[in-house]
Amino acid sequence: MWGWWSTLSRDEKWAAFIRWRGLALAAVALVVTVWLGVTNQLILYIHPRYIVFTLIMAAVALALLVASFAARRTHSHAESPTRRQKAITVVGGILALAFAVAMIAVPPATLSSATAIQRDINSTTVGAGSQTVASASSKAGSAFAKFTVLDWSSLLRQTSAASFYQGKPADVTGFVTADSNDPANMFFVSRFVITCCAVDAQPVGVPVYLPDWEQKYAEDKWVRVEGGFTTDPSSKSSEQIALVPSKVSIVAKPHQPYLF
Amino acid sequence: MVGVAGIVALFVVRGISSTWGGLALPNEAQDFLTLSISVIIESLPFVILGIVLSIAVQVWVPDTLFVRLLPKNRVLRRVAISLLGVLLPVCECGNVPLARGLIVKGLTVAESMTFLLAAPIVNPITIITTAQAFGWTNGILIARVAGGFLIANLIGWLFSRHANQPGLLTPRFAAECALPPSHEHGETRWGQSVELFVHEAGTILPALFLGAVAAGLVQVVVPRQVLVTLGSNPLWSILAMMVLAFIISVCSNVDAFFILPFATTFLPGSIVSFLVFGPLIDIKMLALMRTTFRVRVLVQLTIVVALASALVGLVVNFVS
Repeated sequence: MWGWWSTLSRDEKWAAFIRWRGLALAAVALVVTVWLGVTNQLILYIHPRYIVFTLIMAAVALALLVASFAARRTHSHAESPTRRQKAITVVGGILALAFAVAMIAVPPATLSSATAIQRDINSTTVGAGSQTVASASSKAGSAFAKFTVLDWSSLLRQTSAASFYQGKPADVTGFVTADSNDPANMFFVSRFVITCCAVDAQPVGVPVYLPDWEQKYAEDKWVRVEGGFTTDPSSKSSEQIALVPSKVSIVAKPHQPYLF
Repeated sequence: MVGVAGIVALFVVRGISSTWGGLALPNEAQDFLTLSISVIIESLPFVILGIVLSIAVQVWVPDTLFVRLLPKNRVLRRVAISLLGVLLPVCECGNVPLARGLIVKGLTVAESMTFLLAAPIVNPITIITTAQAFGWTNGILIARVAGGFLIANLIGWLFSRHANQPGLLTPRFAAECALPPSHEHGETRWGQSVELFVHEAGTILPALFLGAVAAGLVQVVVPRQVLVTLGSNPLWSILAMMVLAFIISVCSNVDAFFILPFATTFLPGSIVSFLVFGPLIDIKMLALMRTTFRVRVLVQLTIVVALASALVGLVVNFVS
C-alpha cells in the first residue's frame, strides 16, 4: 500500500492529504450524527424538531460520500501552496482531526453545572409562558407534582409571595448546582432549556434549602426533590423563596435531560 | 473499499467507546466538547443542503440561466441577488458553498457577497421564526429584514468598486474560478456532482470543525454575566449583543428563539444588532468564509458590517 504512496509526486501527495482530510472529517461528522440518531441521543445536542431534517441530510451526504469512494479521481486545479500556507493547513488539519478523534472516542454527555454557573441560572426569562400565577392558582393540588423545574422557576420569577406557594407541593428532578451566594446551605435543582441546540442552552433552577447538602449529594448528581416552598431561610442567598425538601433521592439521568 | 471499511470501523469504535465509563473529563472540558459538537451537528445538515444546492447550481442548472435572468443594471442586479434567499432558504453556513457555486457560475465576487450576506436574513424561514419569536414588537422584525437587506447591498456596492474582483478571493479558489467554463473532466453529471461534493465538503468541513472548536472554547471561557450586566445601556448593550452573536455562532434560522429570553434585559436595538450582525459575521462564519475570501477582505467586511449593524441598533434604540 505504501509503495503506491512513494510513487506520487509532492503535489500529488499534497492533493491526497487535502482530499482525505476532508473525507475523514465528513465521515466522522456523519457517523457520529447517524449513530447519535440511531441510539436516540441526538437530543443531547439539538432540539427534537431538527432530528428528522438532520438525519435526512446526513443520509444524503453519506450516500455521496460512499459514491465518492467509487468515483474516479480527477486532477486538482489548485496552485501549489507556499510553505507557510502548507504549514497553516497542516496545523489546522491536525487540530480538526484531533477534535474528530474526540468526537468519536468520548462518550456523549449533557452540559454540566460548570456551564449552568457560567451562564447564570434563571438569568433570562426563558420559558416565561410555561406557567403563570393565574393559571397555577386555579390548579388542583395534584397538578403541581407534574410541574417541571422550568414551570417553578417561571413562577418564582413572577411572584415571591410566600402565601402563593402554600398548598402547592413540588416534586422536581434535575441536577445539583451549588448556589453561588450560600453554597453551604443552598443548591439549585437545575435543568437546561434549549431552543435550537446545546449551544443556546439556558440554565433554569429551583433553589433548595438543605444545610450541608454537599455531604450527601455531589454537584452534577441528578436528584428528585419533594417538598414545599417557604420564605428562604438562608441569610446569605439572594433568593426570596426556597424549596425546603421533605425527601431527596438520587435518580438516574433522565433520557431527555433538557427541557424545551 | 477502504473508505467503506473506514466508515464501518468508525461506527464500531463509536459504539464501543460510548460504554467507556472511565473516561471522565473535567466539567469544563466535557462542556467544551458538548458545545463544539453541538455547533457541528446543528450546522452540518445546513452545510450539506448548501453543498447540494451548490452542486445543483453548478452542474444541473444551464450555464447562462442565472446570468440571463438577472437585471443588467448593476444596482438592480444586486437587489435581485439579495432576494435570492427567498428561493434558496439556506442559513448562513449553507450559503458559503452556494455563494462559491454562484461565483463559479459567473456572478462577480461582489454580487456573490451580496447574496451571502442577504440570504441568511431575507429568507422565509428566518422571517417566520423571527416573527414567531417577536411578532411586531418594537419593529424588531422589520428592522432585522430591512437592516440585513441594506447592509448586504452596501457591502455589495463597496466591493463592486474594487477593480480586481478575483483579487478578493483566496488564490486557490480564484484559480478554480479562472478555469474556462467549458472545462470538463469528461464525466457524467453524476460523476461531476460526486466530485464536487468531495471538493466542497473537503473545503468547508475543516473550517466548520475549527470554527466550532473556537466557538466552544470561547463559550466555556467568557462568563455570560459579563455581557448581561451591560444590557440596559443604549450603546454598551449593542456592543455586548454583537459580541454574544459573534461568540455563539448559531444559525440565522433559529437565533431569534435563542435571543428571545434576553429581550427583557436588553434594549430592542441591541436585539436587532444581534439579529443582523450574527448571521453575517461570527466565529464559525469567518472560518467558513476564509475558504473563499482573503483575510484582508474579511477584516474589511467585519468592520463595515459591525459598524452598520451597530448603527441599525442605535436607530432602533432611539426610535422605539
